Amino acid sequence: MRELTDLALDVARTAGASFADVRFVEEKENRIYVERRSLKLIDETESFGYGVRVLVNGAWGFASSTHFAKDDVARTAQRAVATAKASSLVPKAIQAVMAPEPAHVDTCKGPCLEDPFEVPTAEKAELLLDACNTMLSVPSIAAAWGLLWFIKLRRVIANTDGSYLDLSNCFSNPMLEAVAVINGESQERNYTGGASQAGYEFIRQIDLVGNARKWAEEAVLKAKADDCPAGVMDLVLDPHHLALTMHESVGHPTELDRILGWEANMAGRSFISPSDIGSMRYGNELINFTVDNGLDGGLGSWFYDDDGVEMKSFPLIKDGILKNLGTTRETAPIIGQDFSNGCCRAQGFQNVPINRQPNLYMEPGEDDSVTPEDLISEVDRGIYIEGRGSFSIDQMRNNFQFGGDMFWMIEEGRLTKPLKKVTYQAQTRQFWASCDRIAGKRFWKPFGIWNCGKGEPAQRMMMTHGASFCRFRGIDVGGARL
Amino acid sequence: MMRKRNEIEALLDDVLSLVTAPHAQATFEYKDRLATRFAENAITQNLSGEEESISLTVAFGSRHGSSITNRIDTESLAKLVTRTEAIARNSPQDPEYVAPPGPQQYPVVPKRFFDDVLAIRPEVLAGSIGKVTTIAKADGYQASGLIEAGSSVRALANSNGLFAYDQHTDFSFSTTIHGPCGSGSASGYSNSKEGVNAGILGQKALQTAISAQNPETIEPGDYTVIMEPQAVIDFLVFLPRDMDARDADEGTTVFADKTGAKLFANRISISTEIDDPGLPAAPFGEDGLPARRTVWVKEGIIRRLRHDRFWAQHKNTEPDPIFQPIFISGGKGSVEDLVRNCRRGLLVKKLWYIRYVDRKELLLTGMTRNGLFLVENGKIVRPVGNLRFNESPVVFLQNVVSLSEPQYVGGWAKVPAIMSEGFTFSSTTDSL
Repeated sequence: MRELTDLALDVARTAGASFADVRFVEEKENRIYVERRSLKLIDETESFGYGVRVLVNGAWGFASSTHFAKDDVARTAQRAVATAKASSLVPKAIQAVMAPEPAHVDTCKGPCLEDPFEVPTAEKAELLLDACNTMLSVPSIAAAWGLLWFIKLRRVIANTDGSYLDLSNCFSNPMLEAVAVINGESQERNYTGGASQAGYEFIRQIDLVGNARKWAEEAVLKAKADDCPAGVMDLVLDPHHLALTMHESVGHPTELDRILGWEANMAGRSFISPSDIGSMRYGNELINFTVDNGLDGGLGSWFYDDDGVEMKSFPLIKDGILKNLGTTRETAPIIGQDFSNGCCRAQGFQNVPINRQPNLYMEPGEDDSVTPEDLISEVDRGIYIEGRGSFSIDQMRNNFQFGGDMFWMIEEGRLTKPLKKVTYQAQTRQFWASCDRIAGKRFWKPFGIWNCGKGEPAQRMMMTHGASFCRFRGIDVGGARL
Repeated sequence: MMRKRNEIEALLDDVLSLVTAPHAQATFEYKDRLATRFAENAITQNLSGEEESISLTVAFGSRHGSSITNRIDTESLAKLVTRTEAIARNSPQDPEYVAPPGPQQYPVVPKRFFDDVLAIRPEVLAGSIGKVTTIAKADGYQASGLIEAGSSVRALANSNGLFAYDQHTDFSFSTTIHGPCGSGSASGYSNSKEGVNAGILGQKALQTAISAQNPETIEPGDYTVIMEPQAVIDFLVFLPRDMDARDADEGTTVFADKTGAKLFANRISISTEIDDPGLPAAPFGEDGLPARRTVWVKEGIIRRLRHDRFWAQHKNTEPDPIFQPIFISGGKGSVEDLVRNCRRGLLVKKLWYIRYVDRKELLLTGMTRNGLFLVENGKIVRPVGNLRFNESPVVFLQNVVSLSEPQYVGGWAKVPAIMSEGFTFSSTTDSL
């Protein structure tokens, strides 16, 4: 493959590229999807191709192909150059440059104890059928579905800095849902643990079949539950729920490409400006967010990003103050930084790498003895929320509204009854300022997000978040109703 | 390079000839595209690429398996067949498996493939973008967006002798233009280059952006809304999923027990049309079954929900292979006519980040974006700040006051602007 990467880079250099990279991507996917008692899909997908990215006169070009003869590779690089020349017809005010990065030559392989592609397909299908059967055996469960989705990703990245990287990762994503119907009411309950960078051992650990009945029974409980009360009250949120809250209200607003306006037509912009680094109060002093693209099992732990930058760990928000941003080699110099934070990734060989959320987590509380029960015991009237549900946020990342997967009323420090149709609404910084207590490290849990959409043409990306249980005071609850 | 139809047919025949399973279905897909992205009045990404793939599903009895590859060579295709058959042999029985259909007769749909799109080069796309960034810059505004041109082929063959082939071209442009305190957007889609004029769309987005500057905060609450066609399709985005017959029969959607019942206002009729020259349908859908015109809602009454092949067999009815393009009946006037007939309400240009709050009630939440205007006594009086809504499309389509003439929008619908009463907004935002 080295011969082909050298060829693509030579063509780009000869055409005057100040920077070029070529990314060969080999991807294998395996999906098993069960609806009710029917195996709707069991498949394996293989995809192999490459993309050449060139920077000519400060303008970008990109071309991809699935043809691997030398002539094809050279032609693809030439097409990338041609698109760069077209880009220069509507040039940037300041020509694009890449922040410096040392040349890396490395071969890395992510964690995978049990190759999911070696697990018999029948075993994987039977697991989902057993889980759905168990759910459907619970009275009032009208529907159930489950999905196992495995990806093996190999990227070979070479660039004109002299980097040559051979990187392999394996990802596993389980999903399971029961739907209860009672007296015209329909409510769902899900497996809420998210995905992981791991092999099939991750699926064995979470015991979908063993937990299926509990989740189905909770769906029934939810369908029979009272509706969400409306008013201002306190919230206790579990780590799996908080993953999505931080994803939308912390991860996306701190992407530098959004701050620069590059997502204005699609995903939107951000309430942050570059001058806010070091001074913006994002939340109260309890709030600490860390970027860690080396996180064990993290879906964003890719060793090197698609800019060829070695992945990093750094504080994003420290004691409630914004300290840094997610950057790429192109965006970092625009705000005067001379290195990238390693947040540039592409979905596939045919996609241009863009500024992407890293693994991002909330630090647990300093006092490890604080338990979730402690948080609940200090609430007179509030709601405890587990798992992810409805989620929506405005394009500048201020106004958000979230639901969840399971809800319990808290009255006088105790969980008193299940609820349904719970939503809460807040403004981002007001919300993070209202956090008054966080449980200890032993309650911290990760949650892998499998499908974060961004960019045009649209791209999917994955990353992991994490948190311990947190309490928030005085939040607007129950505003969403017919 | 795009393969010719007869080459694709021969390729699929070759794949099927390697299959030993009694049932097999092979699908060839090809896509090439140019996509140029711009922001802050400059091109930020520019890509070109093409890819082809073959997917194969085989079944031994009711044990089925599938596989996809983008490596189209003799050795890889032989491996595809071997792998797919191995998956199928080891799969559990599927009680809902339906064998591939036999040969079909396909409708002749209006032309969807235009050579003028194939001739587009990156310089042409850059030229279109330049027209928009130039007018935005002239007013001190920032334009961003995406322009795409490409062609696609989909061909399907199965072991029962079916062969289906479709090719089409796509040309699309979307832009969002920001001023210091407000934004506007516009988009267009066509199968031909002539069908989309980036300059006109840029002007439209710019005019909205200029009108949207310095919005005043407005209290959330129930308002009469005039939703432009873009906002209408934004709000109805989950309709194809929610009109599934089996989900309704199992009681998990708002359409449970509603077939034959009146759910929407009299003026609302919803159909899938296949022969509109401005928005022709693909000639076939699920498993190569021919597209056909279908009326889903007639004068507010739910006439039909969408059946997949298994549920259609179970319910002794015909399957519904396609749902899009969607057409909603309209009136004769324009958006401006709706505004003239509105005593007090909000004109909504676009909705954003729409999600279910409760699927059974079809209660959705989301935000307004790129232009929200207060209408009083038949006139747009001022821009107002964006709002979050919590509302159901069912209520929206029940409370219809009036409809404009339908317009093509989004590349998948022809819908009117809709004026509807009692639309619930629940909170505000400072976001412009």
